[in-house]
Amino acid sequence: MLQQIIALVIIFFFIGRLLDQKRRQEINSNEFSLWLLFWLVATVAIIFIRQIDRLVNYFGFSGAGINFLIYLAVLALFYLVLRLRLNLAKMDKNLTEVARQIALNNKK
Amino acid sequence: MTKIICVIPAWNEAKNITKVIGDVKPLVNEVVVIDDCSQDDTAALAKAAGATVLRHPINRGQGASLQTGNDYALKNGADIIIHFDADDQFLAAEIKEMVAPIINGQADIVFGSRFLGKNSNFPFAKKYLIMPLAKIFTRLFLGIKLSDPQNGFRALSHQAAEAIRIDNREMAHASEIQAKAFEQKFRISEVPITVIYHDFGQKLSGGFKVAKDLLIHRIIK
Repeated sequence: MLQQIIALVIIFFFIGRLLDQKRRQEINSNEFSLWLLFWLVATVAIIFIRQIDRLVNYFGFSGAGINFLIYLAVLALFYLVLRLRLNLAKMDKNLTEVARQIALNNKK
Repeated sequence: MTKIICVIPAWNEAKNITKVIGDVKPLVNEVVVIDDCSQDDTAALAKAAGATVLRHPINRGQGASLQTGNDYALKNGADIIIHFDADDQFLAAEIKEMVAPIINGQADIVFGSRFLGKNSNFPFAKKYLIMPLAKIFTRLFLGIKLSDPQNGFRALSHQAAEAIRIDNREMAHASEIQAKAFEQKFRISEVPITVIYHDFGQKLSGGFKVAKDLLIHRIIK
């Protein structure tokens, strides 16, 4: 139960950040929807952890809480890598725009 | 009079650029070569052949070069913009057939197609493996219903070029332009064209990269 509360607090922190980023227009609608969906799925997974435990047990995996935390950590890493990737893509786009303006201003 | 500007993205195309510009120039009002930071003499040769040359200070890819060309052409009053490859694979004489549907008011954007009757010397794997896969992918994920999903020969009206902004800086631009043309409900026409392959061109691995780029751009656009 305590583990679930901690996990939910962490998730709500990230959802709060996400809403803040959207309010400040730092992310577009597609990106916002993607991450909101990601965190909502995580919330549902935490709330129904016992049912998930039963399900993973049914499939023959260990459903111990610590394992689940490790899965959460992997998900968090996944999130960070994707976020990095999106930031790189945005920087790449800006770089292209700079190269374009230089080309257009230096017609030969 | 209709002003036609031909945009030719080029990267290390010193071998072909002079001939390509010579073939295209009599058929259009202006040829713009986007030199994508070539290491050879592409820019100097293009200039000597009578083209306007815009040079990217760093290599950005074909899609980025085409958008640079579109920006230039729109700013300089083009009524029709032609996208044409620098590797001498297309026939310049077919430009007339490509622009006809726009001039006649039947289309806003015209895509060349290698699958509508004219003979191209297709590599076997490209014709029977890569292209069918590309066609399935673009139909399923992007809703494109065209006979040729990856063709670089196209003609855009001023209005279409203004509305369709190319975000994919590398090779995924071809499908992106088609998808945006459908999304924005432009009148689309396909014209049979001939492609003369001097080498294999984009391989299956390149096709997977195009698919990946398209999906990523769907997320971050």
